Amino acid sequence: MNGHPLLEARAVTVRFGGLVAVDAVSAAFAPGELVGIIGPNGAGKTTFFNALSGVVEVSSGELFAQGRRLTGASPHRYAHHGIARTFQTPRVFAELSVAANIDFGLQFAGRKRDASWLLKDEASILHLIGLAAQAGLPAGAITPSQQRLLEIGMALATRPRLLLLDEVAAGLTEGEVDQMAQLIRRLRDELDLTVIWIEHAVTTLLNYVERVIVLHQGRKIADGTPAEVVRHAEVVDAYLGDEMVEAP
Amino acid sequence: MKLHIKPALARDLLVLFALTGWALAIPYFGSEFMVSMALTCLMYAALASSWSLFCGTTRYLSLATAAFFGVGAYTGAILLEQIGWFGAITLGAAVAAAVAVVMGAAVLHLRGTYFAVLTFGMTELIRHAITWWEKQVTGTVGRVLAVVPERDTVYLTVLALAVAAIGVSIMVRRSRFGLAMAGIGADEQRAQTLGVNTRLVKIGGFALTAAFAGAVGAAMSARWTYIDPATVFNPFIGFQTVLIALIGGAATLWGPLIAAVVFSLLAETLRLQAPQVYMMSLGLLLILCVLYLPGGLASLRTATFGQWRDDTSQWWRERTRAGKKGAR
Repeated sequence: MNGHPLLEARAVTVRFGGLVAVDAVSAAFAPGELVGIIGPNGAGKTTFFNALSGVVEVSSGELFAQGRRLTGASPHRYAHHGIARTFQTPRVFAELSVAANIDFGLQFAGRKRDASWLLKDEASILHLIGLAAQAGLPAGAITPSQQRLLEIGMALATRPRLLLLDEVAAGLTEGEVDQMAQLIRRLRDELDLTVIWIEHAVTTLLNYVERVIVLHQGRKIADGTPAEVVRHAEVVDAYLGDEMVEAP
Repeated sequence: MKLHIKPALARDLLVLFALTGWALAIPYFGSEFMVSMALTCLMYAALASSWSLFCGTTRYLSLATAAFFGVGAYTGAILLEQIGWFGAITLGAAVAAAVAVVMGAAVLHLRGTYFAVLTFGMTELIRHAITWWEKQVTGTVGRVLAVVPERDTVYLTVLALAVAAIGVSIMVRRSRFGLAMAGIGADEQRAQTLGVNTRLVKIGGFALTAAFAGAVGAAMSARWTYIDPATVFNPFIGFQTVLIALIGGAATLWGPLIAAVVFSLLAETLRLQAPQVYMMSLGLLLILCVLYLPGGLASLRTATFGQWRDDTSQWWRERTRAGKKGAR
């Protein structure tokens, strides 16, 4: 390590025409952190993710990965710097087999990166995400919740240092959410990954992460432990309001 | 690592080998007409297979084949006497690839209709630029190739290019480069986030396609012995390549070849007697393929006919049921 944060956003702003989707958000992520990002619909969570992974160009502000400037680089450079992501709606290669989907990441961004034994090859990644039995099926034929897992597997195949998860628990049953959270914890603990996790269902997320960033109308309004954040007046006002107050 | 040839690879190579053998024999027993037909066939096989290599896998529909073909033809025509046959073909390929790199860098960030229209526009631009150049600077409209190689040399060269186009397709399909292009075709942004330098891959693939078209152009200019911008940049070359590839199945390995054979037979038998019928059958085939066989001719299986039969009988049953309801 060279003392730099794994990923640092400095006053990142993303504008679409007149709309400011992300407004001067700064945040630094250290190795091994498990961070949640919450915010109401349209708060700019996914756009912020798109900026962090190079999918959307920032209008102003800077992005650094371990001190290296990545602002304006195309997404494959982010992947080669160990920044991997999933998409809210799974974007697996439907015609390829589940195993070939994993292989894709291994063939490109993951090819020359150091691999933990857990990410050694296709089989070990499939085992890690629990899709070994589906390896031969076309990715379009597995269930949506399995596709979510496959998305994570594809991202892991790039052998990342930082994993951006966009609503991976949406639409899952309570049991599945719990399994997903355990998988994410395990990835962080055993692979020493930094994980940034967006979830719309706040209460779910607050149970699992150690640090929460709250976005509201594109701005960052809070950043701290879940306990601190839920007491934050602006957060309660903007978003958590009834949900948190009424909770016993 | 264990040497392991997959059955599909062995099959593909065997088919390619057998077809090459047949094509090699044609000049020795075939009539002049038959050789000429086989040459057209091989020309379109090379153009359509190399077009599919990039456009079929990435789903970037390029209409610029005529541009690369024409650039290759002009390069060959101008330099044939100085640098010889092999040099002319190689340089035709190289110049076409260079044009593709410039064109690709300018338009490959666009997709769909925009990309198709711009490649077509650039083809026209190049055609008019060369027409202008020939009129203003060299003071001619067309060029006559005085010293050309024998018929069989041209035939064998185009055959070699067609075999190379299919051979390269077989290899690329099994390479990282091929995987990257398939990823771009399926979901370009996803491929990018998994580490594919899509810009580089697209420009490389486009240049590879163009190199084949350029080489074929250089070879065919020697066959035609007279070239002018209107013939070698004829947009029809580009359209026909696309049609052949789509009807045959642009995503498949053998589709473009199958369709190239069908087309050349149709073209040679119908064009002289009934040119309108030829164009009409082209259009009809395309419509039928798009509607009922989106994977192209190469996706035709025995089961496909069964499926059509079931679909038709179901449609008939629903129709008669609706008819009865209407009567009541």
